Amino acid sequence: MRHQEVVGGHYEVQNPVVNIVFGLVVAGVVAWALFEILYPRLRGRFSRRSIQGAVGLAGILAGLYTGLLLVYPDNLHLLFGPVAGLAVGVAVALALREGLVRVTSSEDGPMATLVPAIIGLAVGAGAAAYIADRPESGLYLSWAVSCLLAGCVGLGLYRGLYVTLRNRARSPLIMLVASMGILLAISATITIVFESAPRPLPPAFGSGPIEFGGGNIKGFNFFTVGVSLAGFAGLLWLLQRTSFGRSVRAIGDDEDVSKVVGINTTVVIAIVFFIGAAFAAMAGILSGHDTAIQPRMGLLLLLKGWIASVVGGIGNLYGALLGGFALGMVEQFGIWDLAGEWKDVISFVVLILFLSFWPKGVLPRK
Amino acid sequence: MTQIPARDAERYALGTVGVSKNFGGVQALHRLSISIPRGQITCVIGPNGSGKSTLINILSGMLPLDSGMVIVDGEGLHVVHPYEMPDLGITRTFQDVRVFNQISVWDNIMVVLTRRKLLPALLERGKASQRERAEQALRDVGMWDKRNSLAEDLSYGQRKLLEMARAMALDASIYLFDEPFAGLFPQMLTRVKDIFKQLRARGKSILFITHNMDIVRELSDHLIVMDSGELLVEGDVDEVLARREVIEAYLGD
Amino acid sequence: MTTRTGESTEAGQRLGLVGRLKNGNIELWANLIVLALVIGFVFWRGSGFAITIGTVFAIWAILTVSLNLVVGYTGLLSVGHIGFFGIGAYSVAILTSTTDYSLLRTQSIPTHEWPFFAALPVGIVLAGAVALVVGVVFNRFRDDVFVLVSFGFAIISFNLFLNAGAITRGAFGIHEVARPNIVGRTLDGELEYLIMALACLAIVSLVAWAIVTSSFGRVLTAIREDEQAAAVFGYRVTHYKLAIWVISAMMAAMAGGLFSSWTSFIDPNSFILLESILLVSIVILGGLATIWGSLLGAMTFVLLEEGMRFLPFIPDVYVGQARQVALGVLLVVLMLFRPQGLMGRYKL
Ligand SMILES: Nc1ncnc2c1ncn2[C@@H]1O[C@H](COP(=O)(O)OP(=O)(O)OP(=O)(O)O)[C@@H](O)[C@H]1O
Ligand SMILES: [Mg+2]
Repeated sequence: MRHQEVVGGHYEVQNPVVNIVFGLVVAGVVAWALFEILYPRLRGRFSRRSIQGAVGLAGILAGLYTGLLLVYPDNLHLLFGPVAGLAVGVAVALALREGLVRVTSSEDGPMATLVPAIIGLAVGAGAAAYIADRPESGLYLSWAVSCLLAGCVGLGLYRGLYVTLRNRARSPLIMLVASMGILLAISATITIVFESAPRPLPPAFGSGPIEFGGGNIKGFNFFTVGVSLAGFAGLLWLLQRTSFGRSVRAIGDDEDVSKVVGINTTVVIAIVFFIGAAFAAMAGILSGHDTAIQPRMGLLLLLKGWIASVVGGIGNLYGALLGGFALGMVEQFGIWDLAGEWKDVISFVVLILFLSFWPKGVLPRK
Repeated sequence: MTQIPARDAERYALGTVGVSKNFGGVQALHRLSISIPRGQITCVIGPNGSGKSTLINILSGMLPLDSGMVIVDGEGLHVVHPYEMPDLGITRTFQDVRVFNQISVWDNIMVVLTRRKLLPALLERGKASQRERAEQALRDVGMWDKRNSLAEDLSYGQRKLLEMARAMALDASIYLFDEPFAGLFPQMLTRVKDIFKQLRARGKSILFITHNMDIVRELSDHLIVMDSGELLVEGDVDEVLARREVIEAYLGD
Repeated sequence: MTTRTGESTEAGQRLGLVGRLKNGNIELWANLIVLALVIGFVFWRGSGFAITIGTVFAIWAILTVSLNLVVGYTGLLSVGHIGFFGIGAYSVAILTSTTDYSLLRTQSIPTHEWPFFAALPVGIVLAGAVALVVGVVFNRFRDDVFVLVSFGFAIISFNLFLNAGAITRGAFGIHEVARPNIVGRTLDGELEYLIMALACLAIVSLVAWAIVTSSFGRVLTAIREDEQAAAVFGYRVTHYKLAIWVISAMMAAMAGGLFSSWTSFIDPNSFILLESILLVSIVILGGLATIWGSLLGAMTFVLLEEGMRFLPFIPDVYVGQARQVALGVLLVVLMLFRPQGLMGRYKL
């Protein structure tokens, strides 16, 4: 019973309210995260007050910086370039160090720290300079900024809301309904701020068609597949190889026990929320480049993701990948040569069939 | 077939023949054959995890059988549906107290008194006779004052009593009680024991689980001892309690 | 009785009383505020406004009352209810539409020109039949899985409305849906229509009330609390769940029929998933397992939109969106502090 909406009015990317909200969210999230990280380590040396003051200040700075980024999106290559460079540098340095330690199998010598640090610094500075020289890199930097922002919002929602909800909730339905409320509120807010009409994203590389296997395919689609595979590999590495991943899996098995054995469940779950939101943002960006963005594009994609994980087997990462892949294939090719407009129906029929006859999915969790 | 004692409907109200139940590798019941004498109080004892609750769940149709059969009034059943219980004259309580939490104590009782079929239930709004029965059931366990509170607001013991009242409001001939005495206030304990004796006096058959040997001695006529899903001994309570393996396992040192 | 039990019972009662008082206050306040708002708005905006608002309210309220039977009383959080609403709406629209579509250059469908009161029962029965089939399939699901498959039902039905062009004219929509005709008199006037919609609402509410106060209704709440325990006391749980699911679907179809003949034009946009989510939100807002609460929730929802017009920074076209924001925030707040909704008798 939606009343016919007249779409019109002037569209303005710069919405001060939105910018301020994002700034506040980032400030809060950064302050909270820093506090959670620093407080246990610095407890002996500084008073709680002074640590709070310091992280508060850092949070405010981060918030201001976010505001700056959002107010001058055209200068992203200048404003965000250094940060990106820093990130690249740190990543390179860490990877080098890891490699060096493994090759020489010697623990921290000064060499093992210094050499990677210097190389990292050089690479990072180079990257920053490279980026700063190219305004067209702004688009790609904006991806990173968006993912980070989405991550912060996810983390903020977790910290501000889900923690409280989880403590009170007597059933999973409470969380579900609350999420539905958040979905309503956020998607409507986005509609108010950015209008409901679909809008294309600026062309990224590879938006031109390429001949492939008898059909035309956008090069960008390959990139999308590549990104999702890389993201999947990254997640897998994170979950299987790192101590963080072990904590996540422990919490998945039994949260209370994890708490008892000394895992900081709040922080771990917060990071999971951050990563989840950032990944979702990346998915949104990629599919936005593929077609267009729209305030309500998320819900159906989300449900599809849910379906994919049911089909693949809840709680199994390979299952999710397999399920997503299978679902995509079934949707695209149809089962009985149905036309493309039926693909949502197909997904849900697949879901219901799976739930009825194969509720544990293809790759059940052990 | 004649050697199956539970087939004797005169003597036995309920029984199992060769019942097995496996939970994904855990053999909760293994070829269990027992018989529950009519008009007596039967007690099941056994260590934790020996399959006592599983036995009651099978008898009340809440779990499907892997193999074997359940015998009710001499009739062997391979498939038992939970909703047939009132027709078979069986009622039960649960170990993990399962009252209907978010409805009133009164409605908790009324629920088992009303018509089962859809259409009659739709047209029925609580008859006087049903209300009397419900009141009686609540008074029996001393919960009449609480009739308007939500079941979830009651204490554990009160919920336990409510569950007992609910089971007894149903006009059954076989009562299955899963650890009815656990966590009860001493005075309530006596009350429930009295209720048991009254039921027996009225010719009802009772099967209950307990870990308390004093209660076993005081109440039960027939004793079933289980271990790891199998029957250890079954028989008259005095006989069973006199046996060496039972003494070793239960009566200490 | 020794002092210990005596004390604990007393304490229990005291707490219960305070709790009830507190609840009573919120419920009382919710009632008072909504009623005051209704009166205020009607005086301020005049009778034409009241008639429109009243009709929208009646249609939404039929939906919320019917959905509450499933969500509040039976504990099945269905987000697919809009599908049944759509079936009712489309049945009435297709059967009563008087447009000759062969003259339009877009998709053509046959014109039947049935009277409203012949088409409505068809829609209701059709929705009931669909509900029966869907219910049989959905019966094994519960909790969050049920939510997911009910999403699925909403999406599948929306896609049917959109893509089965030969029957529904797809995105073109159906025009000139007939108004009801009572003893030779067509209810063209808005006031007449309001009265008829309210009459339908009254019937639905009465039926719902009769159901929930009967033994049947009590069994539904027991099933909601513990399906297996209810089964062990002799109830065919699946039958009960199916029955209420079908009844609720038929009520929703009735609302759909009213809706399409009221607006006289429908297209798939009225039956999107979002509407279904809104519907569930209203039911939860008004309160689970209470009929009066559902009426109140529908009224709040309708008024909320008007209320949003007061906000200076929201342009008029976005009033609906602003209402959605408000509803979303309300939902979150409720989940935090009052999981049974304003007037509810069942906490999620
Ligand atoms: N629904 C179930 N799913 C999986 N395993 C089960 C289930 N119910 C029982 N079991 C297993 O079956 C075995 C027997 O359980 P049961 O509850 O019957 O024991 P019990 O004798 O009642 O123990 P207790 O004295 O602790 O109540 C246990 O090993 C238990 O883990
Ligand atoms: Mg047990």
